Amino acid sequence: MVSENVEEYLECIWELSQRSSPVKTNDIAKKMGVTPASVTEMLQRLADMGFVNYERYHGVTLTPEGERIGAKIKRKHRLMERFLVDIIGLDKAESHKEACRLEHTLSDESEKRICQMMNNPKTCPDGDPIPACDQDCRMCISEPSIPLTEVGKGEMAVITHLRCEDTGKMRRVIAMGLVPGRSICVEDKLPMGGPIVLNVEDCKIALAKDYARLVHVLPKGRCNPRKGAEIIS
Amino acid sequence: MSGSIQVALLGHPNVGKSVVFNKLTRVNATSSNYPGTTVEFQEGRLIRNGQELILYDLPGTYGLTGATEDELVATKLLSEKRPDCVLVIADASRLEPGLVLLYQVLELGYRTVLVLNQMDVAKRRFKIDIDRLRANLKVPVVPTVAITGEGLEGLIDIVASMEIPHSDFKVRYDSHIEDMILRLSSHVPQYSISYPIRGALLQLMEGNQHFTAQFTPDLKAMATREMEEFQEQHGEDIQVHINRDRYGEAGRIISEVVGRIPRPLSRKERFSDLTLRSWPGIPILIGVLLGVFLVVVFVGGFLETALVSIYNDLTAGFFDWMEEAIGGQLGEAISQALYLTFLSIIAIVIPYIILFYLILAALEDSGYLPRVVILLDGLMRKIGLSGQSAIPMVVGTGCNVPAILSTRVLGSQRERLILATVIILAVPCSAQTVVILGTVGQYNGIAWVAAIYAILLALIIVAAFLMNRAMKEEPIGLMFEVPELAVPRLDNVLRKTYHRTKDFFVIAFPILLVTSLVLELLMVYGMLDQIVEPLGFITEGLLGLPPITAIALLFGILRKEMALQLLVVLFGTSDFALYMTTQQFFVFALVMATFVPCVSALSVLFKEFGSKNATKITLGSIGISLALGGAANLILSAFM
Repeated sequence: MVSENVEEYLECIWELSQRSSPVKTNDIAKKMGVTPASVTEMLQRLADMGFVNYERYHGVTLTPEGERIGAKIKRKHRLMERFLVDIIGLDKAESHKEACRLEHTLSDESEKRICQMMNNPKTCPDGDPIPACDQDCRMCISEPSIPLTEVGKGEMAVITHLRCEDTGKMRRVIAMGLVPGRSICVEDKLPMGGPIVLNVEDCKIALAKDYARLVHVLPKGRCNPRKGAEIIS
Repeated sequence: MSGSIQVALLGHPNVGKSVVFNKLTRVNATSSNYPGTTVEFQEGRLIRNGQELILYDLPGTYGLTGATEDELVATKLLSEKRPDCVLVIADASRLEPGLVLLYQVLELGYRTVLVLNQMDVAKRRFKIDIDRLRANLKVPVVPTVAITGEGLEGLIDIVASMEIPHSDFKVRYDSHIEDMILRLSSHVPQYSISYPIRGALLQLMEGNQHFTAQFTPDLKAMATREMEEFQEQHGEDIQVHINRDRYGEAGRIISEVVGRIPRPLSRKERFSDLTLRSWPGIPILIGVLLGVFLVVVFVGGFLETALVSIYNDLTAGFFDWMEEAIGGQLGEAISQALYLTFLSIIAIVIPYIILFYLILAALEDSGYLPRVVILLDGLMRKIGLSGQSAIPMVVGTGCNVPAILSTRVLGSQRERLILATVIILAVPCSAQTVVILGTVGQYNGIAWVAAIYAILLALIIVAAFLMNRAMKEEPIGLMFEVPELAVPRLDNVLRKTYHRTKDFFVIAFPILLVTSLVLELLMVYGMLDQIVEPLGFITEGLLGLPPITAIALLFGILRKEMALQLLVVLFGTSDFALYMTTQQFFVFALVMATFVPCVSALSVLFKEFGSKNATKITLGSIGISLALGGAANLILSAFM
């Protein structure tokens, strides 16, 4: 496990390296609010751990492993900021402080779900685009999320987002309560391209494929038989 | 306070709005265990403590955006009539969508009562803390069991007292949306619009045409820009976010006030589930449809024979007496026309139509119809129809009249028109089946009968496919909640059957009477014989039939199976083989099976689709029928 302090450094180096690389020791010291001497000391340790390549007077670059951790922490930070501002309604300054603490403790799974729930936010609350966040979130949202039509019979899924190519259809989907975050179970797929039968909160909904195609979901394994979804036939 | 209070009943399909409405006003609105039975809104009145209430039963609606025809009716009434009070009726077992609808009504500033209907069913599965729900929403919450009338008295008292507060409950949307509302509302003075700005703005962001007419074009343009920006930033339409928050809020309240009573699935629920699966749902479905067909053909046929003989016995001598009393050829025509009119009622309306309506009502009430629709949707979609079309088609094998009426279950007018055409053209009703069996079946053998049915089936597929092409518009895919199966309630089934039969009777009877009279007059004055010759080019030339069959074809308009009886009269023998060849039987049966709809079917066609469409369908079916007959004649002549 990497310590919070190490994560903090990697995050900072990562951010600075987005502008110019290698990153200068002084810039790190300025951004972290510490003395250059302690930065140097820390960089030596990071190099020993294999996270950075450090050459005195030349600057520092991240190794692939260091890059990965730095980007991950930054992404969590910005995602949490967005979450705190949009959903909980904290103000921006507060959300930054809060996000600084949460970025180290947020699990990867929670991060992924928040990212899905917010549907891949592309900017921080202050409006700055976050290329890396964008990229990573796009991956986390588009990789495992599939159209509902592709979910197998007897499988559970959580709605991640709705495609909005056809407003009329999307409205009807929304009206049936098929909104992001909702857990659904695909009870049956009827033959000859027939509709899909869903179990949503114990209620059965039949929907034709042209609607199901708009609903994007994340598969979550088998349906829970206690909800009446799974009956041994 | 003077004047009447206008009350709108709003709710999702199948939550029992119509039952509540009927119980309150004693007006008959059709209720079914089937989504979408109230297409227009119903109006009813009642008086409580000297205060008059006008109630509007709106079609079931999932939202206020007017996404479907039903929703449009509901939304329009809300925005145009501006009722004093809105009763949001929710299924107590499934509160969530009801709450989401309630939020929107509250946002628009209506005084609102939340009615939790079907409370008896919900009680078995959930514990609902009504007081807490009331405290959360700050609106009156009334649990009811509409079918038994429980809770409705209290509901009326609340509405009539007009002590319903404006609730200040608000859904909190995500901060981006809240910011948008704040920014936009600073540009709108409240006096300029008659709805609360917040609610109206939310409707505007959802792209709603209603409730938003008073905003200036400038503001609308501004909102559009903001919405586009939102979509760019979040990668998703703002509507999705608005509704996600509404459902989120509903979920929060539900988790606070509703507790689930744990219990295993009952046998009924298990069966309910199974009828919805491909296996064994589809075999069950085939059984049910076959059962309906058999009941109609056999029970209907049996009833018809029995009733006709009773009718003939009872009226024996009466029409003869009438004929003599009036005297002359006129007497003959009138008495014969009356005889035939009542005969068709006895022979078609009672055995087939009432029987069908009974079966249909029972299927509707049981909640089985939606299953038919779902299971057959894939197949029907292949020919451009939807699963809903299966029901009218099965009904049509008994009688085309209730079949055309039952096309009402279809969502769009377009689909109804396609389906009605297909039914008129190619679904043989029991009378047509009688003709096919009595000619081709009797004289040519089963292989020829199969050939006729194969042609009809091909005709269904081709006609539906071509019409679908011609009409361009995309068929609307199905999406609805599937109700659980229930045992049909006898009173509901009977009431529905009664009202539908009455409806039919009112339309069909006068037309039947007039047509019979005209045909009989033509007949007794010998005018019918005069058309045999001019029509010869069709009967003899095109179809290769004996010229005299023209009369049988014409009378087919009145009643198809009468064609057979007429042949007996015209030929003077019941052994048609003396006068017609194998080929002629086939052509005759094929033409009869596709020819003009009978008068009863024609009359509902006019009523349901207007004279323009009805004329088109009729002329089309005559044309296709003659073309098919002619083609069959040519092909058979070449080979035989």
